[in-house]
Amino acid sequence: MTEVQVRDLTIEYQTSAGWLPAVAGASLDLRAGEITGLVGESGSGKSTLALALLNAVPEPGRVAAGSVEVAGVGDVLSLSGKQLRKVRGGELGYVFQASQNSMNPLKTIGKQLLDLGRSHEVKDLRALIARAKDLANRMGMDGDRVLDSYQHQLSGGMRQRIGIVFALVLNAKVLILDEPTTALDMLSQAAVLDIVRTVHDENQLSTLIITHDIGAISEIADRLAVMYGGRIVEDGPLLDVLRRPTHPYTRALIGATARITGDVDAARALPGRPPDLTTVARVGCVFRDRCPFAVTACADTEPPLVVGEAGRRRACHVEPSTVLSGTPGTPAAVGGQP
Amino acid sequence: MTGFARRLAGKLLAGLVMVWVVVTFTFFLVHALPGKPGDVQYESYIMQGFNPEEARAKVTAVYGFTSHDPLFSQYLGYLGRLLHGDLGQSVYYSGVPVSHLIWSALPWTVLPVLTGLLVSFLIGVIAGVIAAVKRSSRWGGLLSVSGSLVAGVPSFVLALLLLLVFHTEWHLLPDAGTSDITLEPGWSPEYVGSVVQHAVLPVISYALLSYGGWLLAMKSSVITVLGDDFILASELRGLAPVTRARYIGRNAILPLFTVLALSFGIMFAGSFFIEQTFDYPGLGELLLKSIGVRDYPVMAGAFLLITVAIIAANIVADLCYTLIDPRVRR
Repeated sequence: MTEVQVRDLTIEYQTSAGWLPAVAGASLDLRAGEITGLVGESGSGKSTLALALLNAVPEPGRVAAGSVEVAGVGDVLSLSGKQLRKVRGGELGYVFQASQNSMNPLKTIGKQLLDLGRSHEVKDLRALIARAKDLANRMGMDGDRVLDSYQHQLSGGMRQRIGIVFALVLNAKVLILDEPTTALDMLSQAAVLDIVRTVHDENQLSTLIITHDIGAISEIADRLAVMYGGRIVEDGPLLDVLRRPTHPYTRALIGATARITGDVDAARALPGRPPDLTTVARVGCVFRDRCPFAVTACADTEPPLVVGEAGRRRACHVEPSTVLSGTPGTPAAVGGQP
Repeated sequence: MTGFARRLAGKLLAGLVMVWVVVTFTFFLVHALPGKPGDVQYESYIMQGFNPEEARAKVTAVYGFTSHDPLFSQYLGYLGRLLHGDLGQSVYYSGVPVSHLIWSALPWTVLPVLTGLLVSFLIGVIAGVIAAVKRSSRWGGLLSVSGSLVAGVPSFVLALLLLLVFHTEWHLLPDAGTSDITLEPGWSPEYVGSVVQHAVLPVISYALLSYGGWLLAMKSSVITVLGDDFILASELRGLAPVTRARYIGRNAILPLFTVLALSFGIMFAGSFFIEQTFDYPGLGELLLKSIGVRDYPVMAGAFLLITVAIIAANIVADLCYTLIDPRVRR
């Protein structure tokens, strides 16, 4: 069952050069029981996309087009005021980066939990606290102690887990994690990802993990979506995409990942720099400047995101087999059909 | 709570040491002032037409008991009496205890300063929140400008301006003193009413002087907090607007509490100009007068009080901070 349906989402930011798209025509499904990893370099629009799921695009941004349909709620982008407030936290749980301080420093975690409950008009606050303690215990923390603590008394990994408690305590069905492992050491990373997987399975959630760390995400995600220059350029079942990347950018991204076992030199950096709002190509493919496979069509026609076999999608003019073979062919193939 | 008691004890001890240092410093500084008690009196006798001989004899008769001991033994004596709570006696008002002079001046400084400070804190903080939230609108900008403008006017100019408008032009409020002198001091409604009426202009002056500071400080504090991660987090968790406003308010006002306690002590010291302008017999005027006639004990006493006030305000601010900010607690 599809829990969240993002359709043709375009988000623009106001710059000195006018309104420029940070996310352009993105479509994405989050299904119940599936963890989707959304990877991309910084500035690729992945965090903007995640915030748009809660209709919380920050100033000076605006949603220019598209919809975010959440099961049982409708289009989140059409909500406002109290309705929107109830959906945030109630249906959609958002977890901040571990390095961020997502708690009020002056109140204990428990009191902020009560604030959350009252804001969402929870009748049985005692049960809410009990559920929060239970969640905390399951994540390997002492629930009683943690609820009596202030934020500054908790470690980064604990804060991250508390963020997950807050996202889930109201029984949200959708869990969105923004860079959940950034700023954590390797062991805490693994622990947090483990916990995400566990709570995800136990509660049959639809989980979206935003990250630039394709290695970390490959441990737990079911699906992988790759963003570049505000576009989703490829997505599909995780293992399939990792084994057979059919978009030149995905291929380069995987190739740039160093592995713990194996030669570090085997990792190849992607030449060039990721585009930002003002430098991203207005016509043609946004990746063509850094693409070793680029053909003439890439310069003037933007490749559409086309559905292929086995639940995969890609946006590229070059034949999948050519990308898979790894050797740029003669610039002849034009069409974008996988 | 034993931790709190230990903290308090430590702070008090440090405060005492600080008071001793300042007392020592001011004692020698005050005695290092050029001139000596009686100089002013001597000059006024000369002006009145006495010849120098006569004038000197008259001055010696009045000020003759001024100590001629070495300064250091005077200092030891002063410290010893201070330990017994004895501030000594005024030289100018012969024989009147310094503590009596200070006690009678104290309320005329404390009450207006405290009232003015609290009024300006309240108004400034609220205006600061509005200026921060509406900072992109015209009204928010106007508020900020009002803050900068008022904060930039020197106190004596402000006080004179108030006098000009409310006394000279509109005849609304009295220009000097603490009450109508024909009234008997007491709790009679007429007397209290008169005191309030006389206090209005000084209080407004104190309030206006610090209003701009509060407004600008609160504005920047609110803007900082608004950009904090946990405010966005509380929005994305769907917290009620009232709850979010409370989060913002409490976090933003935090740094201002310290300043509030400190500025109480500082205003204490800075009340000269306003008390001068409104001829208000407070501590500032007492100090200024005593400096003019080299009344060492009164000067030392007034400085001591200001020092103690500032140090006490510091301690209170410190302790309050540990109560309202859990991060400072241990």
